[in-house]
Amino acid sequence: MVVFRFLDWLWLVIFIALMIVCGTLFYRLGKRSMSDFFLAGRGLPWWLPASSVYATHSATDTPMWVSGVIYQYGLRGIWYTFFSAWCAISAFASTRIFRRSLAYTQAEWQTLRFSGLGAELLRGWIAGWQVFMNMFVLGWVGIAMGKVCQFLFGWPEWLGLILFSSLCAVYVLTAGYWGVVMADFQQGVIAFSVIIIVSIWGIVAAGGPQGIMNKLESLGQSWRLNPFAFSGVTSGEFPLAWFLTMLVIALIGGFGMGTSIDWYPEAQRIQSAKTVRDASYSIWAGSALIVVRNSLWAVAILAFFSLYPNIQSTAEYEMAWYRLGFEFLPVGLVGFFFAAIVAIHLSTISTHLNLGASYATRDLYHHYFKPKASEKELVWVGRISTLILLIGSFFYGLMMQEITQWLIFAIWIMTAGIWLPSILQVIWWRFNSWGYLSSWIANLGLSWLIVWILPEFHVIPQLPDYLRFWIMMILGFLIYIPVTFLTPTEDMDRLVKYYVMSRPIGWWKPVREEAERRGLLRSNYEQREGK
Amino acid sequence: VLGMSIAYFFSFLGLLLAYSCRKK
Repeated sequence: MVVFRFLDWLWLVIFIALMIVCGTLFYRLGKRSMSDFFLAGRGLPWWLPASSVYATHSATDTPMWVSGVIYQYGLRGIWYTFFSAWCAISAFASTRIFRRSLAYTQAEWQTLRFSGLGAELLRGWIAGWQVFMNMFVLGWVGIAMGKVCQFLFGWPEWLGLILFSSLCAVYVLTAGYWGVVMADFQQGVIAFSVIIIVSIWGIVAAGGPQGIMNKLESLGQSWRLNPFAFSGVTSGEFPLAWFLTMLVIALIGGFGMGTSIDWYPEAQRIQSAKTVRDASYSIWAGSALIVVRNSLWAVAILAFFSLYPNIQSTAEYEMAWYRLGFEFLPVGLVGFFFAAIVAIHLSTISTHLNLGASYATRDLYHHYFKPKASEKELVWVGRISTLILLIGSFFYGLMMQEITQWLIFAIWIMTAGIWLPSILQVIWWRFNSWGYLSSWIANLGLSWLIVWILPEFHVIPQLPDYLRFWIMMILGFLIYIPVTFLTPTEDMDRLVKYYVMSRPIGWWKPVREEAERRGLLRSNYEQREGK
Repeated sequence: VLGMSIAYFFSFLGLLLAYSCRKK
């Protein structure tokens, strides 16, 4: 339990008022059109979406998760957070291709890259999935805030969930993405400042870097300082095979779209940047901030370990970073710290409220229900969708905690089977909509087989995560590649239009030659000759 | 990790809605 003094409450009230007013001020810009409500009119300089990428990926459960892996595994646990490195590659590959396509959402991109009924089915499929996923993430992050408030003030869990998500909805409902991105910038600055202050404060409290190293040595725990302390090639709790799999997923994943669950909020930020270059810089800079943040947290958690080395309960050591702040900061700064936690929380909630509403409005309502809807009507549909997502998230957070636990594991498996096809759709012209759709459906069947049915009936043993990834990738490949070759290629008119607009990288030679034949692109020979 | 099937159920609803296009 934490006791707030007058100064603490003052900090908190000022910050919350500032966040909500800052977002709501952009009401007039947000209501102009659907493009404003969901993409800020595609006119943002790179540093605004960059701060939004960073702020969105700092949620209340993030320091709990990072604390958990660092306390348990030592500095090598930082590799669990390295998945975000896909952004560093994507910034100069799939980010540029996606921004040039001008698709509002990833679901819409499917109908620009593919053609015919298959493309439409894919758009509906991804839009339905994203509406659900955003509602689920809102419930998951919201209940984490409920747990933090219970830890601090003894509130019931539902109070922290409903109170802060509802406060956030004020500016998301009024100003849409304009409110989200402007509040994200302010929240990102507050959050990053406080992460630096609390982490350094904790490190100093533990005796500084030298003091931490000496303490770990005296405890016989020096291995915790080695980020490459593998337990074996395939054995133990931290095998080299897992590390290499993670590197492949993160680094090659940057060439695809949808290879990570994070791609979908990133795609919205990419389209909101004013140029292709701004989009690249925003994704690179946002993920660079995330990597720096994780490193600061990791050292602070090592400091916490040197102070409290024998905590066995996961739920207890996951609160390590929060405890550093609340136990070591002086009176007056505690309220400032909690205001930063609220900032971290609201920036994630606001993004997923607006992102889920964009799929419901742009892809489901506008594209399938009412293509002739006016801009004013679409903004209102966006607001109603936001409200439905908010209420749905309360339902997920409170009523279905067990399902929430299922899905957190399922997300990892879910992206395993569609990781390679999500890259192929970007880099290979022959990959078609039926191939991609079949990879999604095969992924469900293979997951049932590999994760539950075969181990349950002792046909195969329970496999480690990294091995499941490779097996599902190979078996999936044997399904969607034949489907791709047994179904027709995409319409060449569509492929040429997409190629000329998006300039994808990879194997696109037949499409490029057709575009040159039609006089839409200059050939390499013409470029050399200066024709 | 049933949980995945629930997420897929929502995808399937989106796919059915899209399948708006069959007449076209």
